[in-house]
Amino acid sequence: MLNGSLVVFLTVLLPFVVGRFWAYQLGLYGLYAAAAVGLGLCWGQAGFLPLGQALFFGFAAYLSGFAFIHFLDHPVIAVVMLPLAALAAGLLAYVIGILIFRRRGESGAYFSMITLALALLGFQVATSWNSVTGGFDGLKNIPGIPGLDDISSVYDLSAGVLLLMLALCRWLRHAPVGVLWRALAQNERRLLLFGFDTNRLKAVAFGVSGLMAGVAGAIYAPEQGIVTPELVGFGLSADLVIWTAIGGRGSLLGPVIGTLVVGSLSSQLRDSFVYWEVLMAIFFIVVVLAFPQGIVGLTAPLEPYFAARRRLREPITVSPRAAPERPALLAIDAATVTIGDVTLLDRLSLCFNRAGIYCVIGPNGAGKTSMFNLITGELDATAGKVMLDQVEVSGLEPHCITRRGLARKLQIPSIFPDLAITDNLAIALWSGRASGLALLDPRLRRWKSPMLDELCRRYPFLADAGRRAAALSHGERQILELAMALLTEPRVLLLDEPCAGLSPDETATLIDALRWAVGQLRGAIVIIIEHDMAVVKELAQRIYVLHNGGLLAEGDVAAIQASDKVRAVYVGAEK
Amino acid sequence: MDPLVLTQAINVVYGVSTLAAVTLGLAVIFGLLGVLNIAHGEFVMIGAYAAFVAQWAGWPFLAAVPVTLLVCGLLGYVVERILIRPLYRRPFDTLVATWGLSLLLREAAKAIFGRGYHSLTIPVPGTLHFLGTEYPTYRLILIAISLTVVTGLVVWYSRSRTGTWIRAMIGNPELAQAQGISVRKLASATFVTGTCLAGLAGIMVAPLVPIEPYMGLDYVLRAFFVLVVGGLGSVLGLFSGAAVIGGVNSVISAVANATYGYFTMLVLAILVMWLRPRGIVAQR
Repeated sequence: MLNGSLVVFLTVLLPFVVGRFWAYQLGLYGLYAAAAVGLGLCWGQAGFLPLGQALFFGFAAYLSGFAFIHFLDHPVIAVVMLPLAALAAGLLAYVIGILIFRRRGESGAYFSMITLALALLGFQVATSWNSVTGGFDGLKNIPGIPGLDDISSVYDLSAGVLLLMLALCRWLRHAPVGVLWRALAQNERRLLLFGFDTNRLKAVAFGVSGLMAGVAGAIYAPEQGIVTPELVGFGLSADLVIWTAIGGRGSLLGPVIGTLVVGSLSSQLRDSFVYWEVLMAIFFIVVVLAFPQGIVGLTAPLEPYFAARRRLREPITVSPRAAPERPALLAIDAATVTIGDVTLLDRLSLCFNRAGIYCVIGPNGAGKTSMFNLITGELDATAGKVMLDQVEVSGLEPHCITRRGLARKLQIPSIFPDLAITDNLAIALWSGRASGLALLDPRLRRWKSPMLDELCRRYPFLADAGRRAAALSHGERQILELAMALLTEPRVLLLDEPCAGLSPDETATLIDALRWAVGQLRGAIVIIIEHDMAVVKELAQRIYVLHNGGLLAEGDVAAIQASDKVRAVYVGAEK
Repeated sequence: MDPLVLTQAINVVYGVSTLAAVTLGLAVIFGLLGVLNIAHGEFVMIGAYAAFVAQWAGWPFLAAVPVTLLVCGLLGYVVERILIRPLYRRPFDTLVATWGLSLLLREAAKAIFGRGYHSLTIPVPGTLHFLGTEYPTYRLILIAISLTVVTGLVVWYSRSRTGTWIRAMIGNPELAQAQGISVRKLASATFVTGTCLAGLAGIMVAPLVPIEPYMGLDYVLRAFFVLVVGGLGSVLGLFSGAAVIGGVNSVISAVANATYGYFTMLVLAILVMWLRPRGIVAQR
């Protein structure tokens, strides 16, 4: 990332280099760039693409336009209204986000299409509601902000707004919430299972992007003196997407550079060169598919020279979560799960009423993983229920269930591949410990815990700060995901084949680490799905055998080994 | 029956069946390949411009059909090959890619034909005496063609061997490939079918709407909402989605104005998304 003071310096210098005409042009596009920064936040960080971003720009522009026209004689009041107009746009985006994202996991086509439709709707309202919006001609003769209303201050005003938005965006990208946005773009399910409300996180990202577009739009009205329906419509929305993509959606400055370069070039060439827009469309497709870093990606080799030096700061140790007064209690009560014609679980009843390690075994298709999915709320019970600490949790959203002290390691190691290992671990530490506004505090990035120290001692690769999780081997990913599950210090820990794909040595180390960790988690229930009988014998206090979605047998290792029923299922002997 | 009521009823049938016809191409590509082709509306636009070119050159109206099939077919083939094929199972990337394609086609139309509106003369003028009322002949023909094409395609899909192959491909591409079905060719053919159907729908509606570069936007959104409301994968869903979206839109637009009609359509689509994420006719 580019050094902040360097960016400010260049911004101040620019108008002297390019001259007055271009400074004015860039001033106009600086406001669009501020909106593009928000779009980059949604697309490049949180991984969803709003196609109607102009709606918020134009909405705020109309609001502030009204304010300035209405309070013509009291410009001070109008200036006070500016932030309100921007906030209204942000709020509108947040509410729309909540409404659309409420459908579980939705962040693809539906979101993009609905935002596109909203922008077209906005355009229709703006053109047809003549009495308020002035129809096609828009709002004209909007007075300027007192003291900033001559033509030479256009650049200063826009540059100020843009720098402010960049600072905000940079802070958010550094804060835990930024890490969570990047995490959800890569692996939403994993984040949900850490107890984060991913739908709200996405709505917040969209709300912030709406706010940024809103700030830019609110300034636009008094700065340009006119607000037309084009500002809410499809054209500007599409341009913002193109500029953001070509500049580089994933970086902080990419959308800005894309807007300033492509936007101002377009304004010059659009009319003289008929095929300019066709060319830009082709360029867009190529960049999106083959070169997602955009123009900014070209500067990657220079980055070491300009990058801000990251100061190493002292880590902050968080204390272990307070040991619960009573041990955890988990019960599945006559649960049946059917999907279509298939019965996954059939009146399954299991009760885990003492702390300790339990193993669940059973042939493929017995319903072991489905049982975990039922407990974490990813499968709904057709009949029966799940009780955690004597409260019914079946029917709750997965993130609400996991927040009650539940952690799960999935069968195929599930991590955040494009995040650093330390960020993967930090997310686990935040799970259940930080929420709401605390996620805006960058100091949380430096968290560690006694358990993390011990895990790093046992597995030194976990402390490798610079490495991305994608670079890890299968075995290391298994360990990383297990470590993440342990770091949440859960009351109920669900492990789905933690030793799959590990060598005998690695398995032995893992068993040792697991036994140590469970000793630390006082009062916790640990349920392990495992096929490797050596591991089961080593760890299990009690074994449950599932078959055809129901409980076939339970008991200690000796009892299960002696059971004819179990042998019949595994070996296929006659009943 | 009161002739006025009857005319209104035929209007609704006309609206619903043409909307179903416009949606069909999107339904084929989205439903069978899982690719949301945002450029669907631009393929409709191509059909409409083909009809315009045919009339401008003095050819018969139906000459637009081979032109459209050629352009949409070739374009669909190339697009599937270059843009879509590398991106199957990456729905978000196909979304962005087809959005880029829609941009490209729209800008190309703007560069070739200009920004302005074009309109056509209706190829089959006059009205027909129908159930005791007078109704424009061309619209009656459209109703008949729409119903025939949609039903015919669905019957063919459920009966023919190719239809079985496509279902096999959707169920399990690897297994289908192992069974000797060329999944690549089949997916390519399916995509081309979708773009051609969009083009044909464009010819059908061309004489009745203003032809301009931005016309596709409205069609793709409407078609998409039809699929959201009706759900994917059944002809009943297609028609009930078209009935709800087309019906609501025309009723509200008639009572209030187009903006309210549009707004209601959006709210309805979001509601259906929450309450019946697989569409109103899907069994849970």
